[in-house]
Amino acid sequence: MTFDFSLITDHLPLLLVGALVTIEITAVSVAIGTMIGLFVGIAELSGYRCLRLPAKIYVDFIRGTPLLVQIFIIYFALPIVLGTRIEPFVAAVAACSINSGAYVAEIFRAGIQSIDKGQMEAGRSLGMSWGQTMFNIVIPQAFRRTIPQLGNEFIAMLKDSSLVSVIGFEELTRKGQLIIASTYGSLEIWSAVAIIYLVMTLSITRFVAYLEKRFH
Amino acid sequence: MIIIKDLHKSFGDKEILKGINLHVKKSEVVVVIGPSGSGKSTMLRCVNYLEVPSSGSITIDGQTITREVNINTIRAEVGMVFQHFNLFPHMTVLENIMLAPIKVRKLSEAEARKIALQLLERVGLADKAQARPAQLSGGQQQRVAIARALAMRPKIMLFDEPTSALDPEMVNEVLDAMKTLAESGMTMMVVTHEMGFARQVANRVLFMDGGRIIEEGTPEQVFAHAKEPRTQEFLSKIL
Repeated sequence: MTFDFSLITDHLPLLLVGALVTIEITAVSVAIGTMIGLFVGIAELSGYRCLRLPAKIYVDFIRGTPLLVQIFIIYFALPIVLGTRIEPFVAAVAACSINSGAYVAEIFRAGIQSIDKGQMEAGRSLGMSWGQTMFNIVIPQAFRRTIPQLGNEFIAMLKDSSLVSVIGFEELTRKGQLIIASTYGSLEIWSAVAIIYLVMTLSITRFVAYLEKRFH
Repeated sequence: MIIIKDLHKSFGDKEILKGINLHVKKSEVVVVIGPSGSGKSTMLRCVNYLEVPSSGSITIDGQTITREVNINTIRAEVGMVFQHFNLFPHMTVLENIMLAPIKVRKLSEAEARKIALQLLERVGLADKAQARPAQLSGGQQQRVAIARALAMRPKIMLFDEPTSALDPEMVNEVLDAMKTLAESGMTMMVVTHEMGFARQVANRVLFMDGGRIIEEGTPEQVFAHAKEPRTQEFLSKIL
């Protein structure tokens, strides 16, 4: 067995481009997913069944099916319904955002429920509406409390985004596959890919720990 | 100011309030006493609809609370102080007090700040404006909570066991703030175990037990000449 380091150094720029794309798709997806998750999480706690039920169905469906299948549905099945092709980037972001939204919704729901109900009562007793109290008092506190879980979700998404390589979207994993197809350097390139993922996830862990400390 | 008519409240099949009738006049201070589980807090919480009555009606300053009346406009007139203060921990003391006047009364930030600082002065905490609630003692937190409620310029103040969660040495600073408020002519309903406060400040004392008002009268009448055996028994245990 030989381990050819030059294979890695030669292709490092290409892999780093892939890593950038991975970060990009993860950041966009988690950002959109956080917005979806905020609304769905609140809907899950709403007094209105017409909001609660769709939110619950969405969360159950997304969490109960594999992300890979969700990617296939959006990239291959949805165009048949719509009658138009979907760009790999759009499909990848859509699948990851919708997926992330369901997990973030559960994080927010639990975070909001963990806030003492005296906070809502105090806000309401001052004449503020449910929405005003939620957005000014409950959610800011819940958000701080959920930073570690949101960090975990970001890390999970970063790793799961490797799945969009199956629709030919050239993020880090796909770049690795393409390099191996022309160099046969499975050992070197997959090792390098793994280490790049590890560096990214560890960096996020450190950053989240820093945020957590700053907010407390 | 407050008219409660045939108020019933059940949680599941447990009936907590079994028909309360009460009329609180303007500037009156009504102190509610009674054993735990007698429904005193539930009654108080029904007045501003934190608990929705099962039946009966609540009228505040001539407005009967119904589905059609916007509950938020009525709540803005009814301040409430809680046993556990319920200050907003992510905000400074000043922000705690300014929030509702800005959001509900639509005051400018400068106006709200002015009112907040005046109120902090009044409860003796002007130097704590920039502190976080967690940096204050329990007694200080409760005084901030009183200032927060007063910032809405309410017509009525409700106090739900405001000193029960405090260390003994901090009880008086909160009671003093309440006494000053009563002297200024505020209409108040106070659920408390502080009999000294009831005696000194109350115009009327209600004794509740088993979801009903058993006895009511001036502090003198209730404390010294209780007619009902249940009241006598309760008072003999705590006095």
